[in-house]
Amino acid sequence: MKAKIIVAAVVIVAFLVFGAVSFLDSNVEYTDFAKAEKSAKKVQVKGEWVKEKETQYDAKAGQFSFYMRDDSQREERVVLDGAKPNNFELAKSVVAKGRYKDGCFHASELLTKCPSKYEGDATAVKKTL
Amino acid sequence: MIGSIIIRVAFGASLLAVLFYYLDYRKHSARLLVLARTSYRTAVAGMISAAALLVYLIMTHQFHYAYVWNYSSTDLPGPLLFSTFYAGQEGSFSLWAFYTSIVGLALMWYSSRKGYESELMLIYSAILSFLFLMLILKNPFTYIWDVFPKDLIHTGPIPASVVNYVWLDQAKGIWAQYPNEGKGLNPLLQNYWMVIHPQVLFIGFTSMSVPFAYAVAGMLKRDYVSWIRVSTPWTVFGAMVLGTGVVMGGFWAYETLGWGGYWGWDPVENSSLVPWLFCVASIHTMLSQRRSGSFIKTNFILSILCFIMVLYSTFLTRSGVLGDTSVHSFVEPGMLVYWMLLAGLFLFAGIGFGLFFARMKEMPKVPVEHSILSREFALFLGASAIVFAAMFIVIGTSSPIITSILKGRISAVDSSYYVTTTLPLGVFIALMAGIGQLLWWKNSDTESLLKSLRWPVLLAFLFTVGTYFIGAHHAAMLIFIFASSFALFTNAAVGFRIFRGNPKMAGGSIAHIGLALMFLGFVSSAKYDNKETVSLEQGKKVEALGYSMRYIGYHPIERGRFAFDVEVEKGDQKFIIAPVMYTNKESEGLMRNPDIINLMTKDFYVSPLSLETPDSKNEQELTVNKDEVQKFQDMSITYLGYNFSSSPEKGNVVSVSLDVIRGNKTYHLTPEMHNERGKVSYIPATVPNSDVTIAIKGMGLGNGGRGKSSITITVSTPLAAGQPPKNETLIVEASIKPFINLVWVGTITLVAGFFITILRRGSEARKNEA
Repeated sequence: MKAKIIVAAVVIVAFLVFGAVSFLDSNVEYTDFAKAEKSAKKVQVKGEWVKEKETQYDAKAGQFSFYMRDDSQREERVVLDGAKPNNFELAKSVVAKGRYKDGCFHASELLTKCPSKYEGDATAVKKTL
Repeated sequence: MIGSIIIRVAFGASLLAVLFYYLDYRKHSARLLVLARTSYRTAVAGMISAAALLVYLIMTHQFHYAYVWNYSSTDLPGPLLFSTFYAGQEGSFSLWAFYTSIVGLALMWYSSRKGYESELMLIYSAILSFLFLMLILKNPFTYIWDVFPKDLIHTGPIPASVVNYVWLDQAKGIWAQYPNEGKGLNPLLQNYWMVIHPQVLFIGFTSMSVPFAYAVAGMLKRDYVSWIRVSTPWTVFGAMVLGTGVVMGGFWAYETLGWGGYWGWDPVENSSLVPWLFCVASIHTMLSQRRSGSFIKTNFILSILCFIMVLYSTFLTRSGVLGDTSVHSFVEPGMLVYWMLLAGLFLFAGIGFGLFFARMKEMPKVPVEHSILSREFALFLGASAIVFAAMFIVIGTSSPIITSILKGRISAVDSSYYVTTTLPLGVFIALMAGIGQLLWWKNSDTESLLKSLRWPVLLAFLFTVGTYFIGAHHAAMLIFIFASSFALFTNAAVGFRIFRGNPKMAGGSIAHIGLALMFLGFVSSAKYDNKETVSLEQGKKVEALGYSMRYIGYHPIERGRFAFDVEVEKGDQKFIIAPVMYTNKESEGLMRNPDIINLMTKDFYVSPLSLETPDSKNEQELTVNKDEVQKFQDMSITYLGYNFSSSPEKGNVVSVSLDVIRGNKTYHLTPEMHNERGKVSYIPATVPNSDVTIAIKGMGLGNGGRGKSSITITVSTPLAAGQPPKNETLIVEASIKPFINLVWVGTITLVAGFFITILRRGSEARKNEA
């Protein structure tokens, strides 16, 4: 009986510590370009695609790059390791996960957020009238 | 209008069912029971009619309903058109309520035979009422002009150009216009899995409410022991269906979304996995309670959590609280829905845990009699590990909420968090799934255990060494492979023996075999996949991943999509793989679907990235400073300045003034850049008597206006004679997923194990009938 409780308690405590450490270790903070530039950690930056600026896929390097304007209105070039995400053009905003390095933001992951369907989408209604 | 009324009637009827079942629970009268059943059946009839009406509206393209307009269109083929039923929040709540109401009919019949009806249906009807309330808030029958009143409601005479209109108030001349086409279904969802996967998932969510309802009913009846006998078949059913739904979702992602994987630890995926894990853990502790009588409290808590986790997941993924941390994007549903989901979560958690704490002291205490070397203890440890895994995933998924409370700033965990935390638990679960089968109930003697361990351990060791030689070189992976293959061999041996005796008893072993196969498949396909980005110039052979690939060309397939045929060769093997790309009409975005060739021991997976079309021109960028002459080929270009104008018709126009000297003639050119409300277009200028064009690329104002301003232009010249035009080039990401079939075969085996268990526990429960 006692042995069992000790075994269980040790296992539980070990896992809790282990879980807490991994949680803190792998947290990817939301921030903007200014803070990303100072930080060496992996962060995520939310922003909008700057459609006017150059957007291209470099087939040789397998990298997709575009300009993104973050919430504090700073524009930076974002380089993604991989192709343009499927619904990139649809996206209202973009979340780039990665690190700021050598004058641009190197993203390992890119999340695209689609516009809310109902919110002020009156132009879409007019198109289908 | 009629649809909204039906939902309100169904809501009222389900509330009456709650009331009458409650009265029947207190007073036990045949008349009350009849009233309760009639109310419940009325609610079901209402839900079925509402669902049928919505299907009818969708199939007949009634775009004056906002929901139909928002998610469907006339060009969708039948099954996909039908699936738009649950493409949005309103519809998926409808689907959930629909299945909940139908399952309730079966539950009513089943529970009445077990003497559980009023207690069980009381809480179950309350769940249904909650879903109906959500449907009243997120009504799929809203008219489109109520959503866009400013744009669609007009007064006065109707212009002849308006085709679709209805009079709202003819006396006052108020009428509404409505669309004749819908916005259509999100192209990512236009796939046959859209027809199947959500249905299975929602039946799974629905079945998670059954163990919860049984736990509450057991506590209401003060029956703390035998409720698990009636509940177990339903719990296993829930695990089977929800598990199938989760893997189907993964398969869908793998097959059509082109992420290259079947699992991304996304909040949406996690939120269907977590209730499943609690459900599976409770199956194990229920089994232990059947044998030893212990784990009474654990079983109540786990059964309550199955459903609470479904509600919590719904809250996480549908309230907008996760914000930008998920790939799945969600419609911000509004504050009302947010608070309703939260209220529902607290209400049912309050009912479940409130009742649990009120009755906890009454629950029989069964002294624990088993030793460490007993099957009960292995079941307990295994179940604990499953619960731990579930908790880690819940905490990870809730990270944006946790960090916003603790730190005031939102952050999400990286997907590596889930791997680090669940991998050791996976190893432990696999070991328990193996050892548990070799242990006896109550106590096992060490000697016979060691004897029975000999063969499985030896085989697992040899198997692991074998995988080392075919490329598994990571220590953590080798441990996981050892544990999984140990579970596989033990369960195969034990299962075979049981199966020969009584096939009905082999459900557990078969399910564990399935799990072990899935674990092995996870290692091989996710850890040891091999990827390469390949540029395939048309007609040319390219070596990649040990295969020779050649892009042949593309051909149109259904609905404006294109398949890109690539010939793949290795030895005598030769096959065509055809990933798909197309432009989505609405967004003008490029959509891509991978193609997969299943080669038994591996998948050859090709995800298209882009198609580079050959240039018929040479393009070169050139930066020219103001008033400086710049030589380019046979031209001298001078940038004289620019002119900015703004007008309501044309928007902002920048026109650049250039002098171009070619031969002995000077031309004045003015390429323009237009910016009409953010829509930028470039108008190039052509050098007279040539095919050379010059367009603006960008402008530099030169150090805040103090330095020299400059301009970047693109000069296009025709291809020089003799310079061959290039072929088009297809760029793909090719990958090899070794032994991914193990994941699918394992899933099917797991589901088969669950199915056999349902048969066995169902017939046991029948013996219990009152």
